[in-house]
Amino acid sequence: MNRARALTNRLRRELFATPLDGLITVVLLIGLVSGLKALLHWSLTQADWAVIQANSTLLAVGRYPLNQQWRLWLLTALLSGAAGISWGLLRGAGWPRSDRLAAAVLLVLGLVLPAGLGLAAPLQQRWWWLTALLLVGRWAAGRWGCELPPRWRRLLPLTWPVLYLSGLGLIGGGLGLMTVRPSQWGGLLLTLTEASFAIVVCCPLGIALALGRCSELPLLRWCSTLYIEFIRGAPLITLLFLGQNILGFLLPGGLAPDRVWRAAWILTFFAAAYVAEAVRAGLAALPRGQWEAARSLGLNMVQTLQHVVLPQALRAALPAIVGQFITLLQDTTLLSLIGLLDLLGVARAVMANPEFLGRNAEVYLVLAILFWCCCAALGVGSRSLERHLNRQVLRSQP
Amino acid sequence: MTSPTTAADPGVVMIEARTVEKWYPNGFHALRGVDLTVHQGEVVVIMGPSGSGKSTFLRTFNALEDFQKGSIVVDGIELSDDVRRIDAIRREVGMVFQQFNLFPHLSVLDNLTLAPTLVRHRSKAEVQRQALELLARVGIHEQAHKFPGQLSGGQQQRVAIARSLCMEPRLLLFDEPTSALDPEMVQEVLMVMQELAREGMTMVVVTHEVRFARQVADRVVLMAEGEVVEIAPPERFFTAPQHPRSRQFLSQIS
Repeated sequence: MNRARALTNRLRRELFATPLDGLITVVLLIGLVSGLKALLHWSLTQADWAVIQANSTLLAVGRYPLNQQWRLWLLTALLSGAAGISWGLLRGAGWPRSDRLAAAVLLVLGLVLPAGLGLAAPLQQRWWWLTALLLVGRWAAGRWGCELPPRWRRLLPLTWPVLYLSGLGLIGGGLGLMTVRPSQWGGLLLTLTEASFAIVVCCPLGIALALGRCSELPLLRWCSTLYIEFIRGAPLITLLFLGQNILGFLLPGGLAPDRVWRAAWILTFFAAAYVAEAVRAGLAALPRGQWEAARSLGLNMVQTLQHVVLPQALRAALPAIVGQFITLLQDTTLLSLIGLLDLLGVARAVMANPEFLGRNAEVYLVLAILFWCCCAALGVGSRSLERHLNRQVLRSQP
Repeated sequence: MTSPTTAADPGVVMIEARTVEKWYPNGFHALRGVDLTVHQGEVVVIMGPSGSGKSTFLRTFNALEDFQKGSIVVDGIELSDDVRRIDAIRREVGMVFQQFNLFPHLSVLDNLTLAPTLVRHRSKAEVQRQALELLARVGIHEQAHKFPGQLSGGQQQRVAIARSLCMEPRLLLFDEPTSALDPEMVQEVLMVMQELAREGMTMVVVTHEVRFARQVADRVVLMAEGEVVEIAPPERFFTAPQHPRSRQFLSQIS
């Protein structure tokens, strides 16, 4: 009884406090309901999801050789396990509400979605295993993680770079594995490979450029400024086309051997300029007294940067940098315009197939959802990192 | 605290500044031929109206500010553009700032141990022991694992002093150490400084605290418009100032 009254009170306060509030609420509700109804109606009766079912492998990995796809499943399993373990080590044994919610969403995604998409039974089971791996990793690491010796726990951040490099190895082959040329990568696989490579490499590059732009050495400062302003002044698509033509002789041959890697380097160089500006803003926000205190204690320039300036500047720049990463992920769709079969490129190929003529809406909707999932994951990750880093600052509020 | 290993020897010159002139990039003539000699174990208080160049002068001693003419020798090392010499001087000269300038992302203890481990290459455990002793001496050892933002201004400034002491400096510079503090916190910082002076630390202090100058200083320097107007023992400076500019300044602050 009391709870019901509290609920009505709250509804009245938040939704119907004044006539205008009530009007806004009603209009929005009508809009939401009719929109959802139309979408549901369309997706259940008019849409034909056969186009997705028939092309799910193509959308996921492009023309990656069928008999080598176990490597990608292995990589996904490794990533799920590592993600679960990291999650558990960071959060400990408890399951706060946000974690329960995340686990529920993952369960639905892992168990219901594959069935809903009508994937083949063996594929569905693999998704179940992946989901189980992630959640069991979370549970086990949370349960026993704190009993690990601290030396082991400190290895955790190191596992991700190792995993990343071995992941590139698994995808591309070599060392006894059959080589799969980058031109055979496609779909979500290509999109994620290109984006993650650019994200990983553009960070050190961007930091170096930001420091260069703030440097007291005129030549270094001018070069950094020139580079940043040139990149920021040119559209990415222009640079992508330009890169296909000039990167071959700008970079050492082994680094950009084909179109896929040339595009990856262009994305990297492009993002680095924007990351540099974000880092520069972080550097500018740092009081001069921090430099002076560090230098007056006898720290040299490198020590001052490493231990005093960059930890604070990067923390301040983190939201802007992650925003740049999200933009970068979405910018990978431009790769389809230079003829690469990224997610959008594959999708366009699918839609050009006469068999699936007129099924654009279904394909684009799935594309949008996939991109949204990736960006949401980036956002969630960055926000938890931000909270982790800001613990002291938050705690210190009087 | 490890008391200074060598007893203060007034015969040893710690700072020798000769006709120092400085122009800011905008052309402002901040220092107009300033001379000052500071001996070991001496406490010199620099006073003067704002804009008189006293902070600028202090900050030339550890090369936070450069100068165009004249010479400064600190602890036997001549200041020049040579980066290694500047680093050598900064290792031996501690500085306490008006705004504390603690590192907000490090705990109090890490603030103290950062420089000794990086610059002096001492073992972390040993430095931590010394740091805890120093924090006890300035009266905040139970806050060692807090972060600077959780402390009051007075506590932060005492941490800043302990941070400088952890490098075992031969000379301490104070740049208006109590000007950013709430009035009730000024005393706790001044007491720590007085204690340091009693132990024979060589100190150059820019401050407006007349009582501190009277009780602790060996000599008071009055600066105005980029020049040293008067140098005198505190008793004579505050009771019988020689220069009209000094009398004007004293009448303004009392």
